[in-house]
Amino acid sequence: MRGLSLNILLAIVWTLFVGEFSLRELAIGVLLGFAILSIFPLSLGTGGYVRRTLALVRFGLFFVRELTVANVQVALWALLPHPPLHPMIIAYPLRLRGDNAQTVLAATITLMPGSVAMGFNPERTVLYAHTIGLGTVPEARASLKKVEDALLPLYGQGAVQSGPLEDTA
Amino acid sequence: MNDFNAVRDIPILLGAFFVLTAAIGLVRFPDLYSRLHASSKLITLGSAGIFIGVGLEFAQTEALSRLAAVLLFQFLTTPLSAYLIAQAAYLRGLKPLLEGPDEWNALGKAALLDERLEETGGG
Repeated sequence: MRGLSLNILLAIVWTLFVGEFSLRELAIGVLLGFAILSIFPLSLGTGGYVRRTLALVRFGLFFVRELTVANVQVALWALLPHPPLHPMIIAYPLRLRGDNAQTVLAATITLMPGSVAMGFNPERTVLYAHTIGLGTVPEARASLKKVEDALLPLYGQGAVQSGPLEDTA
Repeated sequence: MNDFNAVRDIPILLGAFFVLTAAIGLVRFPDLYSRLHASSKLITLGSAGIFIGVGLEFAQTEALSRLAAVLLFQFLTTPLSAYLIAQAAYLRGLKPLLEGPDEWNALGKAALLDERLEETGGG
């Protein structure tokens, strides 16, 4: 929280210097402020904030790339005469813990290639997903694991639970 | 047709293409669960492309901030509705056409759905 409020404060200071309060100057201020926070993480105590923000940006890039792949793939299947759908419902043992993290994971999986989230078990330790075109069950699990791996750095160690995932390797 | 603007028109054309394939997929895929793949993924990126094209056409702060809000809510709500439709259909017993295993193995267990509704106070 400290890092975020410092970043917003620096952005407001920047708009005061420029003397023009607009979305564009505010965005430039946020970027410049973020640069300052990442150059002096020790004296400002913002190392965690910088790391999490970079993880968010990395996840955003991963998300856009996979969303594009997913769309081209489904569009192709919609047009092919005999699409190789091979539908399955798989159970995926979750390492992410916490309602927020699991909600984001389920929503992301629905937009990723080949999978639509369908439900959780009552203990919230397993995610069930309908998959098409993902090959065998281990391959489908590996595809969901890729999404979870991209989300893990965003939610830190508190949200991680080591589980029986050996069969997905 | 002379005023083709690549920045504006390419996202709109791509978006329209994905929305069209979504409609074709909805008709051609074999069951509800496969159709959800078409309606969730393709509609999300397709409408995002159209929105981005329209937002860039105006290229003003007011248009771009609304564009950001529209995209945000599009990406938040579409997966949720797909999730709810899939879950409700499955737990109410709509049989999926599968060529692989069903590892959930809870087809038609509507009790699971009702329990969850009671938990969250819905109905």
